[in-house]
Amino acid sequence: MKIGGKTRRIAVCGKGGVGKTSMTALMLKHLSGRKDLKILAVDADPAVGLAWVLDVNVKKTVNDLRNEIIEKSRDREKIARQELAEAVDYKLFDALTEGNNFAFLAIGRPESEGCYCRVNDLLKEIIESLSADFDVVLIDGEAGIEQVNRRVMKEVDDLVLVSDPSAKGVRVAEALWNLVREQNAVACSRAGLVLNRVRDGEEAKGVMERTSLELFGWIPEDERLRRQDVEGKSFLDLPDDFPAGAAVAGIMRKLGF
Amino acid sequence: MGMFEEVLHEVREFVKTFPGEGKREFQSRDIPDRWPSGGSGNLVLAADTGVELGSPREESVSFALWSESDHAVRDGAITLIGPDLGEAGGRDLPYGKVVLVAGGGFDGKNGYDRYRELERARYDVDLEGYMIRAASLYQREWIRISRKALQKGLTFRTLGGALIGRLKKIEYVRKAEVLFVTSSTEDVRKLKAIAGKAAILVGAMSKIFEEPRMDCDECEYRPVCDEVTALKKMRESLGKERRKR
Repeated sequence: MKIGGKTRRIAVCGKGGVGKTSMTALMLKHLSGRKDLKILAVDADPAVGLAWVLDVNVKKTVNDLRNEIIEKSRDREKIARQELAEAVDYKLFDALTEGNNFAFLAIGRPESEGCYCRVNDLLKEIIESLSADFDVVLIDGEAGIEQVNRRVMKEVDDLVLVSDPSAKGVRVAEALWNLVREQNAVACSRAGLVLNRVRDGEEAKGVMERTSLELFGWIPEDERLRRQDVEGKSFLDLPDDFPAGAAVAGIMRKLGF
Repeated sequence: MGMFEEVLHEVREFVKTFPGEGKREFQSRDIPDRWPSGGSGNLVLAADTGVELGSPREESVSFALWSESDHAVRDGAITLIGPDLGEAGGRDLPYGKVVLVAGGGFDGKNGYDRYRELERARYDVDLEGYMIRAASLYQREWIRISRKALQKGLTFRTLGGALIGRLKKIEYVRKAEVLFVTSSTEDVRKLKAIAGKAAILVGAMSKIFEEPRMDCDECEYRPVCDEVTALKKMRESLGKERRKR
């Protein structure tokens, strides 16, 4: 069921190590409880960290497909755009790892040397077209927001800037937001900060006094998450009643879910 | 003689090898109810899938043939060789689909564009609970039918009827027919061998249109063009057109 009749695209970004991937996984866990939604989770981190946290087996990354298509293009000098687009869509769908009501797509490493603009543009176009089939698209981005624009899609609805309570983390979130506003690094309708691993409400309040970013919410330090991570268990298997999960549910309500 | 006449003949011979119970035939004009459109929600995820046809882990082939002759195509005919959608019993099935079209006026100027239009049309079926991922480059189609659609009774008859209806919206398509094969991997492979011959003809045609300055003496398709009158005519007609410009 599409919220407001259109696909909702949410990108999660922030400084390395602040918990972007955990945040994306928790958002997916929350949304996957809604059986009326079909969700596409996109791991735009070359290290495919989201796949680990969700315990998802990545069959192929978009970069693997890109290389296959370039090889195929070499076999035949000219392939009609329609034919190539169909082939990319077919292979992209095959590269998805599917869960109950979600599918997972890993982008993989940035492209190697050589200019294959036609294939790169086509891949982005097909990812956008595939995304339109889903109700929600959740993107776990790299630290650099421009990577989302370059390798996944040029426009998102919500930009979730994740930071820990450190001044450095919040400054990076602000810098990302400035990149979006001033240099149009990715088009977005709404952006806000999620503070991760916060000790208590007082600490969150203190951080928010030092920034002009809108606060989507804060997530408390949660031993359960840490244990899940240490034991290499999927965040999707977490119970429904843990503090971080409740905080994410609040954030998702704020985002209209 | 048209470009695909020999391949068409081979498809007919293939169908003849399935006598009696192995083959069912329907007529698209007898299909009573219209199946609802899927709108923008035609995504069928694995967990919602009732039956899957021609997935990347199964054999799959899909191709289209056209003829200038009305006698070559049985208008509205839907032939099914193998289990119907509701008869798969939870198995994924191999999948073969051949679209046969009779139409007029395929020539050196429009042949390629019309071929592309037919290619688009044969994938362009919008039915609730039906998802298609198709790659003409690999001559493959991958279909998922949702559990709900199976419960509501979606069959190849409905699917074939919708496909024929879509094809006949094209002004130069006079007759359309469709063949579905789900009987076995081996049968689909036999069809694939026939599809390979069609692919060579399409490859030759594509080259004629996409590479205006090609040298026929160095072209790998030369023997095909020399043998198939329709391709030869296409090449000559296009050559004349280009010399005029």
